Amino acid sequence: MSDQTPNDPRFDNAGATDESLLSAHERELGKKPADNGHYKMLPLVLLFVFSGLIFFAGTYLNEFSGHFDPSVFDEHGKPAQPGAATAAVDPLVLGKRNYDQTCATCHQINGQGVAGIYPPLDGAEWVTGSPERLVHILVYGLKGPVMVKGTEYNAAAMPAFGRVAGSGYNWTDERIAATLTYIRQAWSNQAGPITAEEVAAIRTKEGDRKEMTQDELLQLP
Amino acid sequence: MTSASQAAATAEVTEIDAGARGPVSLLIASGLVWLVVSSALALLQLLQAHSPALLADCPIFTYGRTAAMKETAFLYGWAANAGFAVALWLLARLGGAPLRSTNWSTVGLLFWNFAVLAGIVGIAVGEGNSITFLQAPRAIQPLLLVAAAAIAAPAILAWIDRRQQATFAAQWYAVAALFLFPWLFSAAQMMLLWAPVRGVLQAVSAGWFVQGVWTLWLAPVALAAAYYLVPKITGRVLPAYDFAPYGFWTLIVIGGWTGGRHLIGGPVPAWIPSIAIVSATLLLFHYIIVALNLRGAFGVKSTALRFVAAGLLAYLVGGLVDAVFAFRGLAAITQFTWFTQAQLQLALYGAFSLTLFGAIYFLGTRIAGRAWPSSPLLRAHFAASVLGTVVLVAGLAVAGLTQGNALADASATFEQIAADTRVWLEVAAAGQALLLLGNIVFAYHFIRLALAAVTSPVAPDAVSFRRPPAMEASAS
Amino acid sequence: MRNGFLFFLGLFAALALSWAGIVLGSNAQLGQLAPLMDENEGKAFPERFPGLAAQGEKVYRDLGCATCHTQQVRRPGFGSDKERGWGDRQSVARDYIQQPVVHLGESRIGPDLANVGARKPAYDEADLYKLLYAGTDTMPSYRFLFQTRSTADRQPSDYALRLTGKLATPAGVEVVPTERARLLVAYLLSLHQSYEYPEARPIEPAKEGDK
Repeated sequence: MSDQTPNDPRFDNAGATDESLLSAHERELGKKPADNGHYKMLPLVLLFVFSGLIFFAGTYLNEFSGHFDPSVFDEHGKPAQPGAATAAVDPLVLGKRNYDQTCATCHQINGQGVAGIYPPLDGAEWVTGSPERLVHILVYGLKGPVMVKGTEYNAAAMPAFGRVAGSGYNWTDERIAATLTYIRQAWSNQAGPITAEEVAAIRTKEGDRKEMTQDELLQLP
Repeated sequence: MTSASQAAATAEVTEIDAGARGPVSLLIASGLVWLVVSSALALLQLLQAHSPALLADCPIFTYGRTAAMKETAFLYGWAANAGFAVALWLLARLGGAPLRSTNWSTVGLLFWNFAVLAGIVGIAVGEGNSITFLQAPRAIQPLLLVAAAAIAAPAILAWIDRRQQATFAAQWYAVAALFLFPWLFSAAQMMLLWAPVRGVLQAVSAGWFVQGVWTLWLAPVALAAAYYLVPKITGRVLPAYDFAPYGFWTLIVIGGWTGGRHLIGGPVPAWIPSIAIVSATLLLFHYIIVALNLRGAFGVKSTALRFVAAGLLAYLVGGLVDAVFAFRGLAAITQFTWFTQAQLQLALYGAFSLTLFGAIYFLGTRIAGRAWPSSPLLRAHFAASVLGTVVLVAGLAVAGLTQGNALADASATFEQIAADTRVWLEVAAAGQALLLLGNIVFAYHFIRLALAAVTSPVAPDAVSFRRPPAMEASAS
Repeated sequence: MRNGFLFFLGLFAALALSWAGIVLGSNAQLGQLAPLMDENEGKAFPERFPGLAAQGEKVYRDLGCATCHTQQVRRPGFGSDKERGWGDRQSVARDYIQQPVVHLGESRIGPDLANVGARKPAYDEADLYKLLYAGTDTMPSYRFLFQTRSTADRQPSDYALRLTGKLATPAGVEVVPTERARLLVAYLLSLHQSYEYPEARPIEPAKEGDK
C-alpha cells in the first residue's frame, strides 16, 4: 500500500462518523430559539424573501396569465367577455363567396343567367323589389313559370336553400341574408340590404312549406 | 447485535460497504462506460452542428438520431446508473446496516443496461420517439421502469429499516428521487407513448416530464450526495440546517411546475408559461437555502469536495439563470437557440455530473477499501471536467445569444446565422472534447481501482480508515 | 420526515399536485377542443390529416427533424416569425388537434415548418426532394432517402430528380426518391395553419385607463 500523506488527494478522510452526523443534525432540527430571547436574523430574512417571492408571483399571475383562460394565448390578453361582438363578417364578402360558389352555377357569375333556362339576376325586378318575395324565393324555392325582365322562364325549378323541411342546403339566416344583400347591390342592382332578422321573421311566420309559385309570390307585399 | 455494531463502529469501512460493493461498483462501471459513449456522441453532434456534411449519409448517425442517442446514453446510461449507485450507497450507509436483497439491484441493473443498449440501437435504426428524454422505442420503456424499481428496492428497504429513526437531508433527497422517478416515468410513458394525449397537450406533458426528470430525480440525487459529503468530510454540522426541510419541500413541490417556460409564445394558453415563470422565481428560495447550507464545500482540500463545490456553483448559477431567462423579454431571444442547450448542459454536466464525480471519488475508496491509484489522473480529470464544462457551456451560451439576436432580425438568413455561430460551436466542441478526455481518464482510473481491489485484496489500511471523531452539534 | 408513510404520501402529493395542475388542468381546458365549423366554407377546421401525411410523420419522427426545426409560429411582435414568412398568425392549440403526433420542436437551427405547405411562393415536391438530397450549408443531406440507379433496362422515372451542377449524375443514372422520401415530403406539404381562428386574432394592446 503506498503511503498516504494527510492531505493525499487520492483519499478523502472522513470528518465524522455516520451515526454522529445523523444525531448532530437531528439535534439541529429540534433546536428552539436562543434562550436569551433574541430572534435570529436568518429566519426573518428568509421569511421576508419568501413572502416577497410569493407576492411577486401573485402579481405576475394576475397580470400575465390571461385569467387562466384556454383561449388566451397572448399573455397580455384578457379572456373575451361572454356575448362580446366577434368581428363582424362583412356580408358582402360572405354573400359574394356564396354566390360564386353556389348560385353562379346556374345564374352565372355575371348574373345574366342562361337564356331560356335560368333567369338573370342583374336588373331583375324580383331582386331589387320586395324583400319579402326575394327571401321567399331563396328560402323556400320557386316552382312553375316566372316572368323576369319580360321573358318567361319555366325550364328549371329553384331549390329551397333555407333551413326548412326538404331543403338540401340548410343555409343559416345569416347566410341567406348575406347572399341576398350581395345580389341586391351587385352588377347594376342598387337595392337595400336584407338582415338576418328579416329572414328569421319570415321563416317563423311561414314555418315549413313547399315552394311558392309566381302567383302566390305576387300576392305578398 | 452489540458486537456487530461495535465492529461497525470501529472502522470507517464496514460490512455495509462490503455488502454494497457488488451492485454499486457494477452501477458505477456501467455508468462510466455510458458516460464515455455519450460524450463521444455529444462531440459528434457538436461537430455535425457546424459541419452538417459529417457522417450525413450514414443513416445511423444522421444528426437527429445522433442527438437522440447522446441524450439517451447520458440520461439513462450515465446519470441513472451513477444516481442509483450513489443513492444505494448513501441510503445503506445512513441506514446503518448492510443492504438486504442486493440481488434485486444486481439483476435490475443488468436489465436496465440491456434496455438502454436496446434503446440506443432502436434509435439508431429509426424507431425513436423524438420526444426529449423519452427517445428510446416505446417497447423498451416498460423494461426500464421495472428495472428501475428493482434497483431501487434495496435502497428503499434500507431506509425503511434504518437503525436511527432520525433522517438526514441526504436521505430525504435520495428517497425522494428513487420514489418519484417511477411515478414520473410511468405517467410520461402513458401520456406520451401508450395513450397519447391530444395535440399540444403532448408538448405540455412532455415539458412536465422533462422538468420532473431534472427537479425530481437528478437534482435530488446530486443534492443527496452534496448534503452527505459536506458535513462528512468537513466534520462540521451544516450551518443553516434547520431550514433544510424548507429547501427540500420547496424543490419537490414547486419544481414540477416550471416545465412550461419553454412553451413561451407557443400554441398553449398563456397561463402555462406564466405559472412556469413564477415557479422558477419561487424556486430561488430553494437555491438560497442550499447555498446557505452547503457553503462549507468551498475551500476545502478534498478531492470529493472540490468536485462538489464546482457542482454546487454550477447548480446555483444554473438556478439563477433559469429564473432570469424564464421571463418572456429574455426568453423571446433565447428560445429555440443553443442557449437552452447551454442551460441544460450546465445542469446535467455542471451540477449533476461534477457532484456525482465527487461522490464516486469518495465512495470508491470505501467500497474498494483503498485509495485511488494515481493523483495525476485525479488532477487531470478535475481540470478537464471543470474546464470542459465551462468552455462547453460558455460556447453554447454565446452561440445561442448570437443565434437568438439574429433570429429576431428577419433579414438574417440561416446561412448567415450558421456562419456567425460557427466559431462558438467549435469552442463548445472543444469543451466537449475536453470532457470526453476527462471522462476517459476517469473511466480508466476507476478500472484500475477496481482491478487493484479485485486482484490484490488487502484489509483496509487501519490508519486511513480509522474511525473518525463524532460530530459536534453547533454551538448556538 | 420520520414517519415513512407520511413522507411517501407527501412526496406523492407534491408530484400529483404539479401533474394535476399542469397536465390535468390543461387537459380539462384543451382535451375536448373540437374543430371549428365554418358555415361559410361549409367544413370544419382544422381539416383531417391526410393518411399519407400521417405515415410521413413517422419518417419525420425517426429522423429526428424536430432537433433543428420547430412547428410553432409565434405571434407577430414576439420574434420575427411573421416577417420571415413563416406564418401570418400565431399557432394556436386548435391547429394541432388532428395531428396524431405533434412535433412542436425546441430548437431553430433551421426555419420553422408549421406553414411549410403554405409558403408563398409555394414549395413543390421537386424543391423539397432537392433540398433533402443536397442539404445546404446548415442542413445535412439525406442521401439515404434516395435511390441512385441506372436507367439501362428501365424507363426513366417520372419522379427522378432534376439535378444540375455538382450534383448532376452521369448519363444513364437517375436519382429517385424512395417511399420514405415521398411520405416525408407529403407530410411536409400537408403542414399549414391558414385558417383564421377567433382565438388566433392578435389582441389590441389595452389603452391607458382600460381595464
